[in-house]
Amino acid sequence: MATPTVNLPGLTRRRLLVICGILAGTLAVTSLVSLSLGAVSIPVWQVLTAMIKWVMGAQDSIPSEYRLILFEIRGPRIVLGMLVGAALAVAGASFQALLRNPLADPYVLGVSSGAALGAIVILIIGRPAEPFLPLAAFLGAGATIAVVYWLGQKAGQLESNTLLLAGVITASFLSAVIMFLMTTLSGRELRGAAFWLMGDLSTPSPLWLLWLFGVLLVGAVGFVYGVAADLNVLLAGEREATHLGVDVARTKTLVYLCASLMTGLAVSASGSIGYVGLLVPHLVRLLFSSDYRVLIPSSALLGAMLIVLADTLARTVVAPTELPVGAVTAIAGAPLFIYLLRKRSMG
Amino acid sequence: MRENFRTSLWLALALVLALKAGPELLAGPVALAARQVTDEAGRSVRLPERIERVISLAPNLTEIIYALGAENRLVGVTDYCDFPEAARAKPRVGSVLSPSAEQIVALKPDLVLATVAGNRAESVATLERLGVPVYATNPRSVDDVLASILHVGDVLGEEQAALRLASDLRHRLDALGRRLADVSLPRVLFVVWEEPLISAGRESFLTDAIARAGGQSITATFSAAWPRLSLEAALEEQPDFLIFAYHGSPAEKAAERSLRQAQLKHKPGWREFRAVRQGKVIVVSDTINRPSPRLFDAMEELARTLHPEVF
Repeated sequence: MATPTVNLPGLTRRRLLVICGILAGTLAVTSLVSLSLGAVSIPVWQVLTAMIKWVMGAQDSIPSEYRLILFEIRGPRIVLGMLVGAALAVAGASFQALLRNPLADPYVLGVSSGAALGAIVILIIGRPAEPFLPLAAFLGAGATIAVVYWLGQKAGQLESNTLLLAGVITASFLSAVIMFLMTTLSGRELRGAAFWLMGDLSTPSPLWLLWLFGVLLVGAVGFVYGVAADLNVLLAGEREATHLGVDVARTKTLVYLCASLMTGLAVSASGSIGYVGLLVPHLVRLLFSSDYRVLIPSSALLGAMLIVLADTLARTVVAPTELPVGAVTAIAGAPLFIYLLRKRSMG
Repeated sequence: MRENFRTSLWLALALVLALKAGPELLAGPVALAARQVTDEAGRSVRLPERIERVISLAPNLTEIIYALGAENRLVGVTDYCDFPEAARAKPRVGSVLSPSAEQIVALKPDLVLATVAGNRAESVATLERLGVPVYATNPRSVDDVLASILHVGDVLGEEQAALRLASDLRHRLDALGRRLADVSLPRVLFVVWEEPLISAGRESFLTDAIARAGGQSITATFSAAWPRLSLEAALEEQPDFLIFAYHGSPAEKAAERSLRQAQLKHKPGWREFRAVRQGKVIVVSDTINRPSPRLFDAMEELARTLHPEVF
């Protein structure tokens, strides 16, 4: 993107690397602690020993229940948590720039309702087996993205306010359809659906899904990062951005598609986990910078860390019973958001 | 000559195949030491010949395991497994809806028993993926409850105890049926939940249990297992009795009954039930909600309340 950028003071490559390094380090430590905690506690040194053995290919010398817990249950769950957290946080930051609205989050455009509807339809048909559920959720998300995109256009251009309204209306319409289906469902499916709406990481994802998610996520984050400088300009206003040589229509479409894809992936893997997409970008703005070149990678890392943290709490506070992670992020997220809001308006 | 050649070729091929297959044929019986059974949800489950460590994911299954005398092999229960008293002391694996897979794996079970109605399909799929065999029960009638007892006895290797228990319960059920042979069936509304009003439908064992206890549920033909119905529709039906379930001693149940009766008399909508005005609100033991041996106690209790004249 050879667009002239508004030069924000203080951003050097070194500073960006330092910020990302700190966040990545914290993420690694959090994950290690998360691996050792749970209904069955495993000391950190034993986790490390097991991981070394795993890397060396000596899986058989790991006690079988540790092997199952670390590498079949907790490990994939932590990886999925990271992917979901990163996807939601970057999607949140993207939508906030796209809609020029600090309240925008990954769900504001109805993507999660679309995904939930897809999942619930599959639950009604009675096929909660592996490939169908995430696939249906993703198709639901994709269809919603397409409809909202079509509704959000004005004279062939993506118009922020129209898009926002189209998203809100679509979301509430889809929620109503979900409520209708849920009252007509019998008890068993209803419980599965409730977990879906709350956001839950307890069902292990198959490996292929994690890989697919990971690859698509890196691609989408890369795309958004590529236009980060344009997003900085876009926040000042579309006309200004056009004057500065930004291809506004193209940037908006690209960001919209990437952010929707990330949201769709997150929701189809874990249901709708709230607050992360709203909170994390604001947290990064407060801690580091509101420059999108910092905001995008930092949000990804911080989002990943916060979800791992929240899910660790979800697994441990009332162990061995597990809470849906969405309940933890909502309980912790809402007060934290209010705190940030107050602090900002004071300062 | 050519014929012979061809025959000998075939023979040679057969010999090679036999030699190749030989070790496997010999190993066959060892590999078959594991059993292949089909559970009540129609899933094919591979079980070791002898189950030494079993985990129960539902209170009714815990009760069945105790009733079969297999409690020594029960190594994990849910937070809701409260009967018999000793079950509370067993290691917990979490709630019925979200048990911890980690905890279950750490207890190294040979078998996990689950219910289709109570547990989530995702929990079962997760355990299956981790290589833990899961046998799911799915009783939708009182006869199914007896069948479940036999099936659980079968997978646990307690066939004799299960047969004794099931035939004992069967006798009690038949005796109850004979007693109630000539009574007229009152129409009842079983209140699973008050607001919103939820009752039991066609797919629930509860509907069958009510019928066996000499009642006719006004929601017996509803297609959902736990249908939600409007108060209007229930009032239109004007059931002869309203039934509530309650956990407690007979004295506590009697107190609960007077309390309910008094409350409903003043509650808008509910006070329009003829049954409420006539004092025909019944409180029955909450074991009516559990497809376990104690379901039969609750059925007898309900029958006694609905038809005191034949007892």
